[in-house]
Amino acid sequence: MSDTDPERTDGGTEVGSEVVAGGHEDDHDHGHDFPGTGSIKRWFVTTNHKDVGILYIVTSLFFLVLGGVLAWLMRIQLWAPRAPGETILAPVAYNQAVSAHGLLMVFWFLSPFAFGFANYIVPLQLGAKDLAFPRLNALSYWLYLFSGILFGVSFFQGGTFSGGWTMYAPLNVPTFTPDVGASTAVLALVLFVASVTVSSVNFLTTMHRMRAEGLTLRNMPLFSWTILLTVWMMLFAFAALLAALMVLSADRLLGTTYFAMESPAGALLWTHLFWFFGHPEVYIVFFPALGVMAEVFQTFTGRRIVGRKWFIIAMVLVAIQSFVVWMHHMFLTSINLQVKTLFMITTIGISLPFDLMVFALIYTMLKGKIRFTTPFLFVFGALLLFIIGGITGVFLGAVVLDYEFRGTYWVVAHFHYVMVGGVTALVGGLYYWFPKITGRMYDEFLGKVHFAAYFVGFNLLYFPLFVAWETPRRVFDYAPELAPWHQLATIGGFVLGLSFLIMFYNLFKSAFTGDPVSDNPWEYATTAEWAVSSPPPLENFEGTPTYRDGHLSFILDRESDVTGGATAADGSGGATAGGGVATSPHTAVTTEYEPTVEATEVEGPSHASIWPFVLSLGAFLILLGISPLQDAAFPEGMMGAAYATTAVAGFGVTLGSLIAMGLEPFHGPVFDEGEAWPFSGIDNGKVGMWIFLASDVVLFGGFLGAYIFTRFAFGWTGWQPVPDDPIPGLVNTYILLTSSFTVVLALVAAEKKHKLGLVTSLGATFVLGIGFLVNKALEWQHLFHEGLWLSTNVRTSTFFLTTGLHAAHVIAGLIIALYLTARAWRGAYLEDNRSVEYFGLYWHFVDIVWLFLFPLFYIL
Amino acid sequence: MGTTLVGSSPLFLQSGLVPRGSRIIVFESIFEVFLLLGTLVGVVVIGYMLYNAYKYRSGATKGDEEVGDRPVLGELPTGSGGGRKLATSFFMSMIIVVSLISWTYLTLLYVEEGPSADNSLDIEAEGYQFGWRFTYPNGHTTDGVLRIPAEQPVRLQVTSADVFHNFGIPELRVKTDAIPGQETETWFVANETGTYTAQCYELCGAGHSYMSAEVIVMPPDEYEEWYESTGNGSSESVSTENQTAFVEARPA
Repeated sequence: MSDTDPERTDGGTEVGSEVVAGGHEDDHDHGHDFPGTGSIKRWFVTTNHKDVGILYIVTSLFFLVLGGVLAWLMRIQLWAPRAPGETILAPVAYNQAVSAHGLLMVFWFLSPFAFGFANYIVPLQLGAKDLAFPRLNALSYWLYLFSGILFGVSFFQGGTFSGGWTMYAPLNVPTFTPDVGASTAVLALVLFVASVTVSSVNFLTTMHRMRAEGLTLRNMPLFSWTILLTVWMMLFAFAALLAALMVLSADRLLGTTYFAMESPAGALLWTHLFWFFGHPEVYIVFFPALGVMAEVFQTFTGRRIVGRKWFIIAMVLVAIQSFVVWMHHMFLTSINLQVKTLFMITTIGISLPFDLMVFALIYTMLKGKIRFTTPFLFVFGALLLFIIGGITGVFLGAVVLDYEFRGTYWVVAHFHYVMVGGVTALVGGLYYWFPKITGRMYDEFLGKVHFAAYFVGFNLLYFPLFVAWETPRRVFDYAPELAPWHQLATIGGFVLGLSFLIMFYNLFKSAFTGDPVSDNPWEYATTAEWAVSSPPPLENFEGTPTYRDGHLSFILDRESDVTGGATAADGSGGATAGGGVATSPHTAVTTEYEPTVEATEVEGPSHASIWPFVLSLGAFLILLGISPLQDAAFPEGMMGAAYATTAVAGFGVTLGSLIAMGLEPFHGPVFDEGEAWPFSGIDNGKVGMWIFLASDVVLFGGFLGAYIFTRFAFGWTGWQPVPDDPIPGLVNTYILLTSSFTVVLALVAAEKKHKLGLVTSLGATFVLGIGFLVNKALEWQHLFHEGLWLSTNVRTSTFFLTTGLHAAHVIAGLIIALYLTARAWRGAYLEDNRSVEYFGLYWHFVDIVWLFLFPLFYIL
Repeated sequence: MGTTLVGSSPLFLQSGLVPRGSRIIVFESIFEVFLLLGTLVGVVVIGYMLYNAYKYRSGATKGDEEVGDRPVLGELPTGSGGGRKLATSFFMSMIIVVSLISWTYLTLLYVEEGPSADNSLDIEAEGYQFGWRFTYPNGHTTDGVLRIPAEQPVRLQVTSADVFHNFGIPELRVKTDAIPGQETETWFVANETGTYTAQCYELCGAGHSYMSAEVIVMPPDEYEEWYESTGNGSSESVSTENQTAFVEARPA
């Protein structure tokens, strides 16, 4: 490489190989049952954030190929306007390709690709040994993989979903898209959202609680900042999507009628729910790319970013505002001028911070020492593409223009410039971190060739779409005079797609035969992942990383303080300093650290669990099993029986693996509390529970919002509560309140180490919960008897579904209560009562939800 | 015609700064300004970016003497100076964007106000899988063809009989969602006679690509003649070639 001092490369090589060996030893030392990276088994049981990161990256690239092939099919169809009978893909097949392409790329490729890096890099940047809940991290990955497989299965069940990635109602209900595969695709999304929620809780707990000393939020590297904001947006946005998808699943499988054609405002309800999620999703997808841009720009220009503080403030503003712009996707619906004006203003408001970020990145280049390596080329290209995407986006912000661009290729071209512009930056990130992840350098020449082909292909594909913007979206019979532009785009599509072959070849070959690299192959890189070996050891750091002296250093357990950081030496040149770090701490550490490892062998952190995999398999089987349901009934015959059996088996596997996971001795990463604002002094598990409940609030909020919206459209006063008698509901209110009280008693008993009191109180909670469910079952039985069923009308649909969701929460709580009672019987929780406390939080939340549901569904 | 449309408009709409007239004129004039400014800003910003990337390339190393202080591994992240430049560019971009959008907002007010009820023709449009039905004030309905007089503003009330559609006549720059259970309103005026095509702009199922209708703009007197001939509740149906072919091509 032209920009690296040859002497240093040599030095680095030596260190690098030594470190790799060290890393492997580490694996064997730690893992009680933890196989090395060469073993297949390792990849099924690993809970290590770096392994999970690699799994995410590889899997997401697989979905990129799948989504890309679908895009090619579309581009082939669009080579010429297709009159009826002259199509290459049948119309429905084309609609499936369009829908699956969008869903796969947005959900199964873009975010997971970014979260591969987040998994790998963020704990390193924070100075954490792993994420807060390693098994949950593995669980997120497996849920993600199985959701993708489930989506794949949907193609073979009569055809996958064909209503577009926006899934507008009522095209999304079985009346119009009757294939079983369409339901399966929706269920696959539900599973994906489950993965995202688990992951969000985990990342938020980790990022808020487990930062090294001195690494305040304000001091966090920009990539970590973008991930933090992304995860906060994910937590709330995906909860809203989950509400939308659960309602849609109920419409498809159980026969509720929220989105049915006859529903008073079903179509509009969907657009609100979807875009409330959908707009934050744009930033969820783009922010990690922005973080990669910021890191790579700083490293390869050799300059710290201009206006760092403002850059962060701008991002925070965007993250917050992203929840108040959704109606700009609905300017042509029946919303009135006042609302349009409001959302036009918020939309312009959210575009401005991006101007600042773009300028900050550009000005960072000034006075720099820019090296045009592959990562920089990709990130530089990404910024250029994003500028074009941004300018064409301002057009859409002008409502009068938006009216005419709605549903045309202007929108398609614009968001591909933004989204795939983001992908461009992430590809840069892949090249950037590749040496860290594999310990070997990619081939720079092939990397540059890839960039050239990619950039040409990209613009050849998407720019003509601006010119041919009059083409309506998702239409293949367009005006003949636009054909040359579409042909250019098709050619570009193939160039862009094929350019990835160069990357796959380059990275695959280099992973095995590339030049070994030192800790820090990039001059001027500053973040902590470059201060450890490539690849980093299993638990990331030898010693505890700290920034208390204003720069990174490591505190070893025996030795008082060995300065690691790059700040060693004279600090005159990054290169020498980088080399210095690599050698000194490692030689020191391999001798000093080992005794500690043995000492902690008994309670050392665990890195392996098969249960996340098994649990995800179980969830997959359940959803696959229920996919053919219609009006809450399985189809007749063998097929129906096979599906039902699958669902039951899946339920068994899920429950079994949950219990196994609960009983499995597993020790999370040990950490000395550093910076933990705003949750210092609060246990990780408690923080995680609070964060999860926050997302659950949004989920119920989505359901209640849907109910209120529908009721308003129906006519608020004309809407009678479904149960004619509020007494059973009132009784249940008292039962739940009492059970909240018994949970408090359980915790008090546990604190007093009073075993009998603990078991009795937990048992009482369980019995009260059962009482609640029995009472509800009687009430529902009565209603069914009166001929009221989920599908009867939209009033019964909202009643049964919303209170049913609550009942499902009660059932989940009772399963936990039963488990706790059984373990308490055998003497658990007297020493460590945290499980009882967290269960109490959950249970109180479920009770509070009921306090909202009761008046809304029984009284008003 | 223009004067009849803005008869009751506030003063700023008549100043000449704000485009008015048919929706074609409104769109074209705003789009032109946006394209021009957008290209200009894009060229300047990207040009500046490329220029600096070249100027400060590693080989040139001019930067090194100017800035001795390069980032070091393990440092706590800080920013570089240059805040004033950043603030200046940010405020400039803000002024451009905000003034552009405010300017178009005035046009939006004009578009939203629409033509007055007295001199416009009210037609109901209903989308269905996969075509368009139109109902005239006298109850006459047509399917697949919309006849309108030239020069007279047309107000459309649009809805859908089944799924979410979107009604648009691209050449006349009119578009609105067709939502089941909801009614949306829009208007347009065609100054030139001829035949145009209305299309669906929201994915609505297998026939989405072929969901179109003919829009025939007639000279006003001819239109009057045709309109007189339509009786109360009569109907006519014209399927475009494509639609018929598509329906036939569909598997039963």
